Parts: sequence; structure tokens; C-alpha cells
Amino acid sequence: MATRERPQSRSLGDRAYDILFHNALWRSIFRSGYPNTPRNQMLVVATNVFLHLHPTRIHRTHVKITHTYCLGGLSFFLFLGLTISGVLLMFYYVPSVERAYEDILRLETDVRFGILMRNMHRWMAHGMVIMVLMHMMRVFYTGAYKPPREFNWVVGVVLLVLTLLLSFTGYLLPWDQLAFWAITVGTNMVGSAPILGEPNRFALIGGYEVGPSALIRFYTLHVIALPLLAATFMAVHFWRIRRDGGLARPL
Amino acid sequence: MVSATQEQAASQAVRGRAKRQRDEELLVWPDLVFIEFIAAVLFTITIFSLSVAINAPLLDRANPTVTPNPAKAPWYFLNLQELLLHMHPALAGVIVPTVALIALGAIPYFDRSNEGQGEWLSTPRAWPLTILGATVGIVGTTLLILWDGSKHVVLWAKLTGHDVSDWPTKLNWLRSSRSLQTEVNWPDSWRHVPLGSKVLRTDLLGLPKINLNVDIPAMVVEQIIPVSMMVGLPILLSLFAWKIGLARTRRDHMILQFSGFIAVYVLMTIVGTAFRGQGMELFYPWQIKPPVS
Repeated sequence: MATRERPQSRSLGDRAYDILFHNALWRSIFRSGYPNTPRNQMLVVATNVFLHLHPTRIHRTHVKITHTYCLGGLSFFLFLGLTISGVLLMFYYVPSVERAYEDILRLETDVRFGILMRNMHRWMAHGMVIMVLMHMMRVFYTGAYKPPREFNWVVGVVLLVLTLLLSFTGYLLPWDQLAFWAITVGTNMVGSAPILGEPNRFALIGGYEVGPSALIRFYTLHVIALPLLAATFMAVHFWRIRRDGGLARPL
Repeated sequence: MVSATQEQAASQAVRGRAKRQRDEELLVWPDLVFIEFIAAVLFTITIFSLSVAINAPLLDRANPTVTPNPAKAPWYFLNLQELLLHMHPALAGVIVPTVALIALGAIPYFDRSNEGQGEWLSTPRAWPLTILGATVGIVGTTLLILWDGSKHVVLWAKLTGHDVSDWPTKLNWLRSSRSLQTEVNWPDSWRHVPLGSKVLRTDLLGLPKINLNVDIPAMVVEQIIPVSMMVGLPILLSLFAWKIGLARTRRDHMILQFSGFIAVYVLMTIVGTAFRGQGMELFYPWQIKPPVS
């Protein structure tokens, strides 16, 4: 007796999938299908603006955690987290000598999850300094600065400086004794440079000692100027990783 | 005819290599994106738990008239503040960090070889070089810090059962780096060498006169000794490693110097953070009291 293959009736899941993902609205947002085939998996990386920082394929050894420990990626992740928590903190903070300290106190006592927001911003800032330094060590000890990646190492050194400056400018904002004297000590070091030291210090803190103009300058640098600069250099950094052929590999 | 066959063979080899390389590759989605996602989740949980457990510090309102003792910079600048205790402020605060950053950025232009790429410490002798550089950095810096903190006097007093004040006056110049300036009988004229009126005669060119007096003993202590330590010791280290055949290539020297630099950097950060108490004196971490105003 000959058996005849009959097409299986489509399950409820299949039909729900079609309704959700095979319609004009979904397709207008996501051009590729669900990433369950190699073709779609490559398309989803190549056509998504966030994922296209990656190549579509990567060498087997680069996926090993111990090759990079994700240090650079985690630095970037912390930068994003700092941006989000920083924007939330900006809602409650006014950079004036009269209000700054009181705003932090109010943030800690009156704002729901205010203290959590502040803590997360602070620990992520410390974490980013550590991650960036460790990322630099990783790149050095894996010899990943060698040609053609020389200039990207220089960009990385600039990003290290920007990270330290971001953290340093944020340190003053709570306007407590810790902040005030740390910045006084730090800017005095700048002022001790021969010839250019004193003018630089004056430009940085807008006066001869840390005061209202220092607070507004550090705030502006911290929330606008330095993040934009850092983001620009990060864009160059990531772009060049791709242009230089991805992560370094043994020859 | 022959060249055609050769070409064919070559292209087959190229194709073979390309094919093998393809086989070694993974798709970024899901293999890499998944790892990144897990790393991000783990990190979010860590940061979240840390933030719930430990509150960010908030002291009293800023008061310019009350100086806390000690007044410390943020922890990542405490290495520079540590340098500040031992040398001229211009050197510690600006010149050393600037030179260090430029040297750091110049590494790939100095070491242009391609060996040892993409693998952890994969050049021959990389591990011994790392360990040598780090050990010399840590031991050397510790000894220098202890000497400048007069800890050898304390050690001598403990070993011989004397008091610290019993240190022979003849050896007073060995108490610390600074005592070279204060305890040695320098000729008085050396303390005020008028460069402005004797050497740099800018007034002869019609420019404003420079009023520059050089204090040679102070210069020795604040500039000449620190610079010769910071430049000389790394050079000696490189020479030593080269002589015993450990450092042969530029990459070897870079590993040696970078490891030493990182070790010194971390050590000075730790000393500045945990071992400096009131008056920026050396203490054990458990002896340090909170800053007093």
C-alpha cells in the first residue's frame, strides 16, 4: 500500500509567527528574517546599526573569553551605563555652590532610588577607569598594538586620558569636603608646571581657587564636552578596529 | 603553458587557504553577541549589588577654610601625589605624566616588529621579562619610598636597640632624600646661583631681565636625583636584561619596561591610597585614622 505524504497543517505557533513577523510594519523596521539561518544571522549583524560595529564573522580564537576578557567592550558598556545614570542624575542636580551639596543630600533622602542612581554612577566610574587600564594591559601583552594597529593604540591612550579627565571632573560635583580638596590638590599639580602651569590652572578652575566658576566649568566639561569628545574618539577607535582587520591574530 | 599550470596551482592554494580560514571562523550572531550579552548582564548585576551594598561617600559641605589632613586627590591620581612627596611639583604633577603618556603612545612606533601578535605573551622569554620588570619595579620603588620616609633609620634603631634620635649626626645626610639638602655643608653661594644676572643676560638683548636664582642643593634633591632614578634605573634594567641575554628584541625591552611601569604605577597608587595617613606620612593601613580637619 502506497503511503502518501500529506503536508502537515501549520501549527498555531507558525501562524502566530507569520502574523507577528511577516507583516509590512515589522519588515519596515527589521529587514532580515529571524536569525535562525546563517544567512539571516549575518544579515542581522550587517543591517543593524548597533550590531554592525561587529564583523559578520569572527575567528574562532577571538570568541574565547580569555583572549580579551571583554575588557574593551566592558569599558564601552560602562560608558553607556554612565551616560544613562548621568542623565538621570542631571534631573536633580544644579551646579551652583548654593545648591550642589543640598541637591546631593536631597537626591539621597527624597528621591526614589536616588541613592542607588548615585552609587551606580560612582561605582561605574571607578570601574571604567580600572577597565580601561586593564584593557590597555591586555592590548599590550597580546601584542595587539603592532602594525597596522599603531595609531589605534594612540587613540586608546587619548581615550585613557579622557576617561581620567571625565572621572576627575565628576569628582568635584558633589561639592563636599572630599570633592573640594581632591580637586584643589589635583589642580594644584596642574598649576605647578613651568610657565604654562598657572595660566592652565586659571583656565581650568576659572579663578585662583576652586569656587563657583570651577564648579560650572567642571560640570560643563563633565556632562557635555568630555563625553562628546570621548564618544568621537571611541567611534574612531571602533572604526579602526574593523578597518585594521579586527582583533590581532598570530601571523 | 607552464605558467598557466603554475597560476592554476597557485590559485588553488590560495583558494585552499581561504577555505581553511573560513572553516576557522564563527558567526558573530550568535557566538559573539551571546558572550557580550552575558558579560553585560553579569556586569550589571555586579554594579547593582555593589551599589546596594556600599554607599558612595559624602562628607560635610565643602569648606575652603577647613583643610582636611591628609587632603588626597582621587585614587587614580594618588600615584602622582605620591611622586609629589619626593620631587619638585612641576616634575611630579606635569612633566612625568606628560612624558609617560607620550612614551606610552610611542610604544608601537618603537617596536614595529610583527612577532607575538594576537596571543598572550607569546614571544620567547616574555614571561621571565614580565616578572623581572615587575619585580624590579616593585622592589626598587618600595626601597626608594622607604628611604625617603627615613624607614632605614627606624630599622637601624630597632635592630641595635637605639632610639631613632640616636642616629649618628655624621650620617644625618643619609636620613632621607631631603636631608641631602639640609644636612650637608653646601657652600652658601651654591644656594643662590644668580643665573639671571650672570648667565642668562637677556638684558643685553634688550629683553626684560630674568630674575632666576638657582638653589643647587634643592635642585639636586628635587630634580637631579629623581630624574636620574626615573630614567637611569629603567635604562640599567634594560642593559642588565640585554647583557644576560634575556632582552634581545625591541619587543623584549618593551615588555620589560611596560611591566615595570605598570608595577610601579599600581604600587604607588596602593601606597598613596592605603599607606599614607596624616601629614602624608607612611603608616600601615590599620593605623590610619580618618582625616582630621
